Amino acid sequence: MIDVRNLTKDYGTVVAVRDLSFEVGAGEVVGFLGPNGAGKSTTLRILGGFLGATTGSVSINGFDIVDDSLKARGCIGYMPEACPLYPEMRTREYLRFRAEAKGVSRSKRSAAIDRAMELARVSEMADTLIQHLSKGYRQRVGLADALVSTPPLLILDEPTAGLDPNQIRDVRTVIRELGDSHTILLSTHILSEVEATCDRAIVIDRGELQAEGTIDELRDMRRAAGARLVLGSLGSSREEVAVSTAEDVPGVFIAKVEPSHKHTVLTATFDDDIDDAGAALAALVAALVAAGFDVREAAPTKASLEDVFAQLTVGAKS
Amino acid sequence: MKGTLAIYRREMLSLWITPLAWVILVAFLLLQGISFYLLVQHFTNMTNLSIDSGPVQAYFGQSIFLVFSLLIICPALTMRLFAEERRSGNIEALMTLPVTPTAVVLGKYLATLSTYALMWLPTLLYIVILRKTGDVSWPVVGASYIGVFGVGAGYLAIGILMSAMSRSQLLAAILTVLVIFGLFMMGIGEYIFPPGIMRDVSSHVSVLRQMDDFSKGIVDLRRIVFDLSLTVLPLFLTVRVVDSWRQD
Repeated sequence: MIDVRNLTKDYGTVVAVRDLSFEVGAGEVVGFLGPNGAGKSTTLRILGGFLGATTGSVSINGFDIVDDSLKARGCIGYMPEACPLYPEMRTREYLRFRAEAKGVSRSKRSAAIDRAMELARVSEMADTLIQHLSKGYRQRVGLADALVSTPPLLILDEPTAGLDPNQIRDVRTVIRELGDSHTILLSTHILSEVEATCDRAIVIDRGELQAEGTIDELRDMRRAAGARLVLGSLGSSREEVAVSTAEDVPGVFIAKVEPSHKHTVLTATFDDDIDDAGAALAALVAALVAAGFDVREAAPTKASLEDVFAQLTVGAKS
Repeated sequence: MKGTLAIYRREMLSLWITPLAWVILVAFLLLQGISFYLLVQHFTNMTNLSIDSGPVQAYFGQSIFLVFSLLIICPALTMRLFAEERRSGNIEALMTLPVTPTAVVLGKYLATLSTYALMWLPTLLYIVILRKTGDVSWPVVGASYIGVFGVGAGYLAIGILMSAMSRSQLLAAILTVLVIFGLFMMGIGEYIFPPGIMRDVSSHVSVLRQMDDFSKGIVDLRRIVFDLSLTVLPLFLTVRVVDSWRQD
């Protein structure tokens, strides 16, 4: 449905997107993930036809966004990040304008508007002036606008930005429902959003692709599970003993110590294929205690998608 | 053109449901009313009227009020067209529509042009009033309205270009006023330059001269062509400017 090839966007002073390539297949719900300023909005704006790319090509549903610009844009329901709308218009008036401009035929327009308002849950605000709508409702009017021409592809730029937790839950529910009948690409910097709504994620940072895969695949990219232990203050010779003791424990792949003011933190990473991390941790504690170390705290560390994200994006900076 | 009508309708709606169009209309009719009142005052004291300097000629052709009112309403009608879309960020929703920049520019332009025409509509009452007291030549009236329509069409096209080129409505309005005023001053050159090429050029672009001709019933094709170029060229440039935003 979306095919992005070697996309680069150079703003002159900043390169916002650098040689980015990815695909989104029909029917997929894909999260476009990255920290603020990673180039998410720029990429989506290029896909939506609002910005031109410096180099590279994008095709939407088989239509090139430069050569077949109108047809490509016709396949997209695009929801900009800010969703500004026209405050002087009523919801229904605004959607009628958008439907007409998107070429929804006159006979189908009213039904299309009602359907879009129902899907986006703004039916009760149909005759309210947009300037009187709350941020949450405006966001939903923007969503209804994206849906009004029943496009096969939805591109949503930070659909939950600026909403309160209840509204975020509502919007996610709506997106999940829409995912059954649409291809969706949504951008976010919030991981739980991707976990809650998407099949697959594309992670970018500073304009470059960092990782791509299903949520499970991304989780597998995390460093293996491990443990964090706090030991009493050690001298440097004892630190080495602690590391070698820990690494001798079966299941422990590598261990590191970080001395601090009053104690020493030992972090151990378990083998990738470890079955029972709990048993490995117990064995590790037992081995250290047996070697005479003063173990004050011991906790398992389980990599979450958050860690993967941090590793992929922050790690790339170092 | 696909989408033009939708954008036209939205612009008309937004113009007339907000106070803007009404405020401009009141200001415009007030100026026109003062102009007409002064002219009627002037002509009631005259006993002999020559055929080509009646109240209609004076109203359309020999009154500075006409240029003055255009200088106010044209920038006011066009200043928000693109500047406001860009300030609010709505431009993103507009440009991602499956609609060409030409359709967007045309829809917005035609909305201001028809609003402008609507604003002149009440002035037909003056003609009705004049008819009560004497004869009114319909060709002269027709030519006069063609004249104001032509001049306005050009000024509005300049206004839309300035709105596309600036991010603030105020700046757009000021730039439009400057350009219109510049054109007016070029026309004044007719009274300053000695006979020759400069005077011919000044006369050709003079809005005063144009309205003077049209209000005598002379529909000069060269002036129509001039108005048309003053409309088409800025509109063409506006489309180019709008298209260039994609490459920002």
